[in-house]
Amino acid sequence: MSKTVSKSPEIAEFSRRHNVSPSRVKVVKNASGEELLMIKPSLGREILRHKDVYLLLLIPIVFYFIFKYVPIFNAQIAFKNFRARDGVLGSQWVGFQNFIDFFNSFYFWELLRNTVFYSIGKIVISLPLSIILAIAIYECTHRVLRKVVQTLAYLPHFLSWVIMYGVLFALLSPSSGIINDIIKLFGGTPVDFLSSVKAFPWVVLLSDAWKEMGWSAIIFIAALMGIDVSLFEAAMVEGANSWQRVRYITLPSIKPVIVTVLLLKLGTILDAGFNQMYMLYSPQVYSVADIIDTWVYRQGLLQFEFSLATAVGLFKGAIGMILVLVSNKLVQRVSEGSSLF
Amino acid sequence: MKRILATLLTLLVAMTMVFANGGSETTTAASDGPVTITLWYGAAITEAGPIPDDWVGYDILLEEHNIDLQLSTLPSNESDQDVRIQAAAAGNSLPDLFMVSRPVLTRLVDQGLVAPVDDYYALMPNRTAQQYDADSIAMTTIDGHSYGFASPGSVAMNEGLLIRKDWLDNLGLEVPTTLDELMDVMRAFTFNDPDGNGRNDTWGYGAYIESDATLKGYPGARLFPILGAFGVDGLWCFEEEDLGLNVYKPEFYEAMGFIRNMAAEGVMDPNWLTYKKDDFRAAWKQGRFGIMKEQNAAYAAEANYAPFDANFPDGEWIVIDPPVGPYGDASVGAYDQNYRIYAISQDAVDAGKAEKICELLEWMSSDEGYFLCGWGVEGVNYVLDENGVPVTGDLGDMSFSGPDGQVYTQLRNMVFYNSDTELASRYPTYTTATSGKTMSALTTLREMQSKHWTAAIGSGQMPTPNADVQRFYEQGLAEFLSGQRELTPENWQAFLDQFNAIGGAAWNEQGIEYARENGLVR
Repeated sequence: MSKTVSKSPEIAEFSRRHNVSPSRVKVVKNASGEELLMIKPSLGREILRHKDVYLLLLIPIVFYFIFKYVPIFNAQIAFKNFRARDGVLGSQWVGFQNFIDFFNSFYFWELLRNTVFYSIGKIVISLPLSIILAIAIYECTHRVLRKVVQTLAYLPHFLSWVIMYGVLFALLSPSSGIINDIIKLFGGTPVDFLSSVKAFPWVVLLSDAWKEMGWSAIIFIAALMGIDVSLFEAAMVEGANSWQRVRYITLPSIKPVIVTVLLLKLGTILDAGFNQMYMLYSPQVYSVADIIDTWVYRQGLLQFEFSLATAVGLFKGAIGMILVLVSNKLVQRVSEGSSLF
Repeated sequence: MKRILATLLTLLVAMTMVFANGGSETTTAASDGPVTITLWYGAAITEAGPIPDDWVGYDILLEEHNIDLQLSTLPSNESDQDVRIQAAAAGNSLPDLFMVSRPVLTRLVDQGLVAPVDDYYALMPNRTAQQYDADSIAMTTIDGHSYGFASPGSVAMNEGLLIRKDWLDNLGLEVPTTLDELMDVMRAFTFNDPDGNGRNDTWGYGAYIESDATLKGYPGARLFPILGAFGVDGLWCFEEEDLGLNVYKPEFYEAMGFIRNMAAEGVMDPNWLTYKKDDFRAAWKQGRFGIMKEQNAAYAAEANYAPFDANFPDGEWIVIDPPVGPYGDASVGAYDQNYRIYAISQDAVDAGKAEKICELLEWMSSDEGYFLCGWGVEGVNYVLDENGVPVTGDLGDMSFSGPDGQVYTQLRNMVFYNSDTELASRYPTYTTATSGKTMSALTTLREMQSKHWTAAIGSGQMPTPNADVQRFYEQGLAEFLSGQRELTPENWQAFLDQFNAIGGAAWNEQGIEYARENGLVR
């Protein structure tokens, strides 16, 4: 469909004859492969024609413009020694010093290790659970049971981590927690889950899975709804059992959505969940609980090192972007239709 | 299309330039119209709502002082307060007058965002005489200038070591006076069923981690009586012979060993490492433990004591002397003078508002402002008793402690200075609903203050470490106390060596230098 050199004189003539810019003339092929020239409609006219759709698009565009793009200008303080009185433009330029300070900080490698561990751990645990839950809900034929399970699974997503901490404390307290009561019932020794370096990572990963599993399943349920029902009917006629239908129809059908979700999660690989960690961690588990965001909170926000905090934010964004681009490229090579863009 | 993209790009750059300039909305004081003063204050009753729009003070200030006061409540949690102030500072949009902690004030001064107030004390003669003495001015003095007004905060030495007397009686035990006796009592409270319910559900000592990087340090104030028995309560030692961080003293290691034993023997409520303040307070009201360090009002004020009274009508806490340690030391804890600092933003001074802010503060300390901010309107929110003390009388919900009236006293911490009248009004004597005991948080306060404390005046001004040093310090001690790392002389020395290497030694030196320069050494 690209403009060919051989067509250039014709395009010039065509644009002159129709009084339009040559850039608005495009070459298309008809069903028999013959190349034809046609005028591309102007963007304004396109917007006018589909104004209701563009109006819907306006809300997210404004949101992203104000909250995502405008602040990019301020990201330059990552390279400055930001002083509020001097403003973003007036602050002293220090180059990469803030990045160097972060990389040279005493706990850098531990912070990176913990952050990546929790991010990948959450993907490894939560993603399959969400898919399983979505398939279970989709396959469930009992309408009331399906609705009840779906609602109960969504519910924890709407609880803040402050409340979740209270729930977890009631479950895991070494003196009166339900889990420890069960352990004691069977003659075991109570475990202080929230202050044990061995147990703490599991508390973080499993509580996150519990809280977010239902919400994450929504997108997979939506994808499942889009599968052509006749495929299942044909499979049943051919004698496929439930497991075979899931394996050979359901999972391949939602593969592009799974890949999309995975790629998007890779973009935030260095966001391991500040709210959760801030509520759950304490000094005795710092070694396995301190992540980049909690460090930034203590060193950046509480110590008024906004330039350092911004530098870390930029670093996280850059790593996330690189991961998304590389993995998207890899997905393109393996399975073109499943890539994000 | 290119034109549209170019236009959008230009718009984007223009918008970002506008936003980058921050949201500062400081207005210059007009010569005739009212002067708007924005004030971010710490609410006196954090669980209640803000001051209603019909508060009489707004009209008085507008009509008699030409001040349009605009109030905003700061978060109740200190760390959230710091974040809010610093976020506003980063956007160069601080309010005209705001409450701020000393560590944050230091950073704002460094950024040139707050104004020196040395010359403004003279504009408030009444308030200065009432609230600002040399110590309070020292609290806000940085590089030779005062950068805020420090009013008296919570009453000093308002905590005490409490023990369940009914449990002692049930087990036939005496009040412990030494650390060894305390340990014996803790064991008895844990293993001898002091409440007689037949269940193994009680512990000797209850605590939670309440630490900071100025006064309390890790493991914090709730364990001060134990640390005090070794003479190492408080983050800093201000005595000449041991000047510096207490962690370097050999007795600190011994204190750590004692606390570790308490945890290892199981005589401490095992939740002590994960309890938040509210969990801890709920736990003693549920009868979980029999010894604790608690604040006078949190223990004895009517609303706070009521759940315990209902759960255990025969229960009784008593304030005891701190236990004496192996070298004869004993202390309830380290104390500093508490202040609430209010700073004026540089923008407000640039806008010519400083004099009006001083006028506002001086009015607050006048008879009219003091009673209005402290207790509300006479006859509506309070009445005076025969001693001239504001009391609730029969004013019901609209009284200054009632659900509808208390919101009118949200600014009281800006005017109170812990006078006898205030304390008598704040902590009235009452009879408990279930057991019929006569209680008074004021009597409890006086009893707590009569015990032995360690003076650590100036702790609040001491330099704070960076986040990595603080983490290393807290994590290291927490690992020893929780048993993750064995507490041996070798491991302890290795911890101190690494602490020094990461920046602990520099922090200690900086603190010693500051203490000497500012006359904090005893």
